[in-house]
Amino acid sequence: MQLPKHFKIIDLALQYKDTLIIGDLQLGYETELHKQGVLIPSFQLKDILKRLNNIFEQTTAKRIVINGDIKHQFGSISEQEWREILQLFDYLFTKVREIILVKGNHDLTLRPIAKKRNIEIQDSYKIDEVTILHGHKLPKETTKTLVIGHEHPAISFPKRPSEKYKCFLVGKWKKSTLFILPSFNPLTEGSDVLQENFLSPFLQENINNFEVYIVEGKKPLHFGKIKTIKKL
Amino acid sequence: MISIIKKPNTNEEIFSKLNPITSKWFKQKFGSFTDAQRYAILNIEKRENIFITSPTGSGKTLSAFSAILDHLITLSGKNKLENKVYAIYISPLKALTRDIEINLTGPLQEMEKIAGKEFGINLGVRTGDTTQYERQKMLKKPPHILITTPESLALMLSSMKFKELLRGAGWAILDEIHALAENKRGVHLSLSLERLQDISPKMARIGLSATVEPIEDLAHYLVGHGRICKVAQVKFAKKFDLQVISPLPDLIDATYGQMQRAQYKKLHELIDTHKTTLIFTNTRAGTERVVHDLKEMYPSKYIENIGAHHGSLSKRHRVNIETKLKEGKLKTVVCSTSLELGIDIGYIDLVICLGSPKSVARLLQRSGRSGHALHETVKARIVVLDRDDLVECSVLLKNSLARKIDTLHIPTNCLDVLAQQIYGLAVADRWNIKDIYALIKKSYCYQNLAYGDFLEIINYLAGNYGELEERYVFGKIWYDEETGEISKRGSQGRLIYMTNIGTIPDQTGVLVKTGDVAVGTLDENFLERIKKGDIFILGGSTYQFQFSRGMVAQVKAVPGKQPTVPSWYSEMLPLSYDLACSIQLFRRNIEDHFVNKKSKNETLDYIHEYLSVDENACKAIYNYFREQYLYVGLPHNQKMLVEFYQDDTINKKYVVFHSLYGRRVNDVLSRAIGYIIAKLQKRDVEIGIGDNGFYVASEKNIQVLRALEILKKEELGKIMKVAIEKTEVLKRRFRHCAGRALMILRQYKGQKKTVGKQQVSSMILMKAVKRISDDFCILKEARREVLEDLMDIENATKIVKKLKNGSIEVKQVHTTVPSPFALKLVTQGYTDILQMEDKVAFIRRMHKNVLAKIGKKHRLEE
Repeated sequence: MQLPKHFKIIDLALQYKDTLIIGDLQLGYETELHKQGVLIPSFQLKDILKRLNNIFEQTTAKRIVINGDIKHQFGSISEQEWREILQLFDYLFTKVREIILVKGNHDLTLRPIAKKRNIEIQDSYKIDEVTILHGHKLPKETTKTLVIGHEHPAISFPKRPSEKYKCFLVGKWKKSTLFILPSFNPLTEGSDVLQENFLSPFLQENINNFEVYIVEGKKPLHFGKIKTIKKL
Repeated sequence: MISIIKKPNTNEEIFSKLNPITSKWFKQKFGSFTDAQRYAILNIEKRENIFITSPTGSGKTLSAFSAILDHLITLSGKNKLENKVYAIYISPLKALTRDIEINLTGPLQEMEKIAGKEFGINLGVRTGDTTQYERQKMLKKPPHILITTPESLALMLSSMKFKELLRGAGWAILDEIHALAENKRGVHLSLSLERLQDISPKMARIGLSATVEPIEDLAHYLVGHGRICKVAQVKFAKKFDLQVISPLPDLIDATYGQMQRAQYKKLHELIDTHKTTLIFTNTRAGTERVVHDLKEMYPSKYIENIGAHHGSLSKRHRVNIETKLKEGKLKTVVCSTSLELGIDIGYIDLVICLGSPKSVARLLQRSGRSGHALHETVKARIVVLDRDDLVECSVLLKNSLARKIDTLHIPTNCLDVLAQQIYGLAVADRWNIKDIYALIKKSYCYQNLAYGDFLEIINYLAGNYGELEERYVFGKIWYDEETGEISKRGSQGRLIYMTNIGTIPDQTGVLVKTGDVAVGTLDENFLERIKKGDIFILGGSTYQFQFSRGMVAQVKAVPGKQPTVPSWYSEMLPLSYDLACSIQLFRRNIEDHFVNKKSKNETLDYIHEYLSVDENACKAIYNYFREQYLYVGLPHNQKMLVEFYQDDTINKKYVVFHSLYGRRVNDVLSRAIGYIIAKLQKRDVEIGIGDNGFYVASEKNIQVLRALEILKKEELGKIMKVAIEKTEVLKRRFRHCAGRALMILRQYKGQKKTVGKQQVSSMILMKAVKRISDDFCILKEARREVLEDLMDIENATKIVKKLKNGSIEVKQVHTTVPSPFALKLVTQGYTDILQMEDKVAFIRRMHKNVLAKIGKKHRLEE
């Protein structure tokens, strides 16, 4: 199956026309770990910037949509989050003209940081017939295509159960085409879609017919439907 | 430095040296001294270090304490008893501390009666259960004899006030050394003892242990590097009645059902003809199953009088079982290994081991739980479950009767424990690191510690890793590189230390639920192994695994279904290397008989004489060996059979290595060889590991000979470092090490962290730590722990050497049906997959497979 017209997967990002979409960065995760007594050094932002740099070498997109959960903490903004999110914005502005923040369930207190760089936060963002939303809640109205994050889809193979691979899922939700973005967070792989244990209200139905695109290495690899992988 | 005491003192010698009150009490109570006491009392009186090994129930407590009580009573008589701790008793078991207090209070009261006055000798117990109030009381009125655990001792050494009480102590008594020295708690204690010795230079050390080998190393462990120690080896006074029992005469032709019925019939018969029976099953799942099945098969016989005892059961349940057992209210108790050590459990006249106890020391320890009084007969039966078990247990029995105790492995240079102890030193005082290094090197476990490793730990503790701006978060100690001084840092330092101390990793039990109802807990190791749809036993019922999220596993009850996965992999006891070698030797002896065409009867007689097992067992062993011999030959200590087995019905090739060295050694050999093979063919390979051998399996042709050549040429340690790099076990052990080194804190800023959080972070942790350095000290320690403590790279290296110099010959054979010795291994399933392809290559190959499957349709859609 080919991706719908105008869509393209570049590493962990999805491109629609001249808009790049990434999801679930969860910056500030290390501070949260420190608070819990896990005293490991931070390297998340460094990895994210490196990966974004690779993506921007392959695209001329003018706009980036961060599809929810840019920060990890639900509550207040940690020092690390302040610092790193601003660093990220500043970096992105050297590459695109516009940054759009779509609100995720972790982003309750994002406004003060966004305001620093005059960035708007929106519940969802619409271009043509494509709606980009985080996915923890259902939208009031739908369009032909929906792009969500939130689920952090990944997949593991019976031949190598200990490793997970980040993937995009593409399928049908009601009458719309639904894209699910992998998480952009370099620390975690995500949740195994074969375990069928989803949080999002979008994924309460059977998803056996969803198409899987795995991103490992340069090009996305199409793996067919989830039900095919189950039989592998 | 270590000298064995040849002759114990006589009763008269001891009586003449003791205080009249103590003397009179002993005369009245016992009339004479036990062997252990005759070795110990006068040496302890002289404040000499002494290591006493003796079987259980030989009056050990009084051996250790008599001289000390005598000394205190004399002081009391002269009114010279000071307000300080004279002796510190350390037990690995908290439950044992109360027992010791009771065992000392009784004699003291009786002696006071003889003396006609009170001595004013205080006993005190300090464990994790001691309340703040009790601790305060202890500070005001210190116990003359302090009874404690290794963890509480370390806490006291880092507390200003308690440390002062311990200063100038006369004796430290370590109980159950055999159970401590083989793990990191023992390593931790060895450093606490050096800290104690540092403030009590004249302190003598007394070690009590079950019979162990190598005795010099254990004595050395007790006293530390460069100190003198006397060793008293108290012989077994008890008579031993040990037997191997096979529930059926023929172990091979019986069906699973027949075998089960026969086994329970035998168990019931044994229980029924004895007063109280203690059964060891090796695993928690086994314990559950036996209790369940006995109740089901003999519903009228087992109701309230049977109990289960294992580590996953609540503490309240366990204590309840122990109490009932002590009170004689139970006919039988079934346990995993949990009642091997510990408190007096009352009258037991029979011990049953269901399946092999895997080591001589373990069998003797378990057997010693029966006939606890000094001169009673120890009675134990090993019920075997298959032919490998029969051979193993028969040789085990032979070695037990000959008292050929297996060698104990004492971990050394553990950097995580070191970090915790240095932190403890810095919390209490300002130190120069040179002095700390000198102190540490006195411990047996650190006598060879490299200064570079030590410095790395100091730097780690000082927080010198990660970005500069984060170091204030990581720093635990203040360290001045110029002067080499360290001390505590920040206001939280002491609290963090006090609330996170210890070496035992947190129980990482995963809650198992059907819907919202909790049905029990599962070991996290086990969870890593099972996949959706797998059926397993928990608490006597069968469940099918659905999925897990965080620390909850969702399952579905599937009553009556056959389990598809063996339970509790990780719990499997490894066969001791020494015992494995004995079995290999026995195999060779039998091969000699076959090669020299000795008659069947002659060989049977030989087996009977060599192993002293009954006629059925002899025949079963004979047949088993004969079949293997005629089919492909017998592997033994000079011949490693390498069996190429190909099952045509599945697309997989097996190579079975008949290397009977126990799974700790095979873990190393299989991973090293598997890794080399995987590298040669650039493909992942599957390995299956058992005590009797291992296999490597792959879809491709396996180049064994080339792999063996490479194995012989390269350094095993180097191969293994890479071979374990991606394993789950390294990740898990790293988390444990990070916990001990206080890089992951259980309690921090007043929050107690759930294990779930720790589990989520273990993979992330590995990634993060490799960013610091591939050789970050705590990661290095995790690798050491996996290779040296969990696995046995030392003996594996010896095997490779023997392969190299030809003293072990490799013989290749090809089969289409696995040979009798290989059957169990091949059918048990894989232990691990060694990943060789990188992620990208693997995913491309999987992609090709997908395309092959969906190709046609795929193109149509396009």
